[in-house]
Amino acid sequence: MGMTNSAPEPAALIRARGLTKVFGERTAVASIDFEVRDGEFFGFLGPNGAGKTTTMRMIAGVSPRTSGTLEIFGQDPDLHGSEIRGRIGVVHQQETLDMELSVRENLLVFGRFFGMDRAAIATRADELLELFQLSDRAKDQVEPLSGGMKRRLSIARSLIASPRILMLDEPTTGLDPQARHLLWDALQRLKRGGTTIVLTTHYMDEAEQLCDRLVVMDQAKIVAEGSPRQLIAEHASREVLELRFPNGTESIDVKVLEGIGDRYERLAERVIIGCENGEAAHARALEHGLDPESWLVRRSSLEDVFLRLTGRTLDE
Amino acid sequence: MSAAQSATPLRARSRLAAIREAAPHPTRWRHIVGYMLAVYRREWQGSVFSGFIEPIVVLAGLGIGLGVLVGDKAAEITGGVSYVAYIAPALMVSSAMNLATSEAAWPILARVAWVRIYHAIIATPLNAADVMVGAIAFIVGKVAFAAAFFAGVLLITGITTSPEGALGMLAVSILTAFAFGAPMAAFSVTQKSDQGFAFLFRLIITPLTFFSGTYFPIENLPFAAQVLSWCTPLAHGVALSRALALGTPLTNLGIHVAALLLWGIVGTIAAIYLFRKRMLK
Ligand SMILES: Nc1ncnc2c1ncn2[C@@H]1O[C@H](COP(=O)(O)OP(=O)(O)OP(=O)(O)O)[C@@H](O)[C@H]1O
Ligand SMILES: [Mg+2]
Repeated sequence: MGMTNSAPEPAALIRARGLTKVFGERTAVASIDFEVRDGEFFGFLGPNGAGKTTTMRMIAGVSPRTSGTLEIFGQDPDLHGSEIRGRIGVVHQQETLDMELSVRENLLVFGRFFGMDRAAIATRADELLELFQLSDRAKDQVEPLSGGMKRRLSIARSLIASPRILMLDEPTTGLDPQARHLLWDALQRLKRGGTTIVLTTHYMDEAEQLCDRLVVMDQAKIVAEGSPRQLIAEHASREVLELRFPNGTESIDVKVLEGIGDRYERLAERVIIGCENGEAAHARALEHGLDPESWLVRRSSLEDVFLRLTGRTLDE
Repeated sequence: MSAAQSATPLRARSRLAAIREAAPHPTRWRHIVGYMLAVYRREWQGSVFSGFIEPIVVLAGLGIGLGVLVGDKAAEITGGVSYVAYIAPALMVSSAMNLATSEAAWPILARVAWVRIYHAIIATPLNAADVMVGAIAFIVGKVAFAAAFFAGVLLITGITTSPEGALGMLAVSILTAFAFGAPMAAFSVTQKSDQGFAFLFRLIITPLTFFSGTYFPIENLPFAAQVLSWCTPLAHGVALSRALALGTPLTNLGIHVAALLLWGIVGTIAAIYLFRKRMLK
């Protein structure tokens, strides 16, 4: 009863249960559960060493998991890796382009790995060069391209076989703001075109801007899950008051901090106070005799969610 | 009961799937050859000298120079033929070794450790085994090309007179490229920098030419060195190539071919195993 021979249509494109990866003594991913749904922009937000890359590698079937279950398109990547990889595009954290080939040749060669015929590859390559604004560099060597161009080429290359899922490991790290925004636009266009996108990042603004849903990872575990809006509503207060103390915050009395807002986090040179009304909280802080060098009020962000959940900032 | 019954075939099936995942695909490796050809088209000028011209220069220099030195004693060593004709088939094989090993060194290390494109390739339908098989196949093909050129020069200059002999030598060079390229690839995928190569080339590959019967018969070596020499692929390649070129009787044909194939096959399996170990962490 309840069991059928035909595989049921997977509710999610990627489904992980108790997914775990251990390297010798170190647990890189500790029993995480998540699902990526069709058409969704899904994020892994977490600091260095959280286990984001390791998770992406397991999904791509290039890192056998230690335990747990993992299904992509309803299949196990350890058993059907080649088939699965044929339908996903992967952009690595570090550049993996061929420096001896031209921009366009990098795309042509890759299409063959997916078993596409040459004519289809050529058409698709020109389309992608256009889409990622690389057409005028098509014949150039890769080496002298800027970081942003190389990254766009890596993404174009991963899309050569029109994958159902695009996986990007920290795609904007090291790019200047303009290049980042250009890339964000391109990714949003792809998503609108129906591609499911999985992205890792340690930029909370990136996660907030792009992701429909995300998991926050820290020290190999998922500490929270939801849409950016849900996460902020659930784990942070409406506004945040930041007080800056260049001489350190150790000497500030706990009682004072507790009296200002709903919650507080004490960092090395900053106190961050979650509250309903930042201006009012600032007034209370001054009443309690605090004398910050500067202060600001802003809306809560994912950064505050992370801080709340882990007691640390993302770039610590 | 039913669980026990269905568990076995399921496990057997997934074991089969796991093996298929790790093994080379029958044809996908050819895309690696295609990729390497695309790279080669861009930078062939760089390897024309080492692959094609250098062996001819060495042959001319050694054949003429050493030939004069060896002089009348040549016949003693060569069994009657000119010294050039004696060393040419051997040089052809040792150039195959040189080209195969250097092609399996830097170009592979670079793609594993420096430009890391192999990381991108194993994230496509190709697996690690396909990458190694394709890389080795390209090396063997490239050596075949260079060896064919060399054989052509030997025929045109009349150093080798038998076209069948030249074809045979070509086959031996291809086998030798496989016997050296595959184990060298296995070594390269374990390296983090190219320091290991300097050691390997100076201490093993380069001296091997002198101890494998290229310039003088192996029988002139001390017995221990002879044994050692037969343990490496080059001596087998030289023995075969020379017999084919000079039309002397082919003794131990099976052993020589088997030795070369064994080196190549074991090297390929080792390369796949070590490459997977490095990449699939
Ligand atoms: N091949 C490996 N061998 C041993 N430990 C590893 C290996 N790969 C990753 N780790 C460890 O696993 C943990 C998670 O690493 P991972 O690269 O997945 O983190 P990450 O979230 O991608 O970090 P970053 O933001 O720095 O890229 C780290 O502690 C890392 O040192
Ligand atoms: Mg990472």
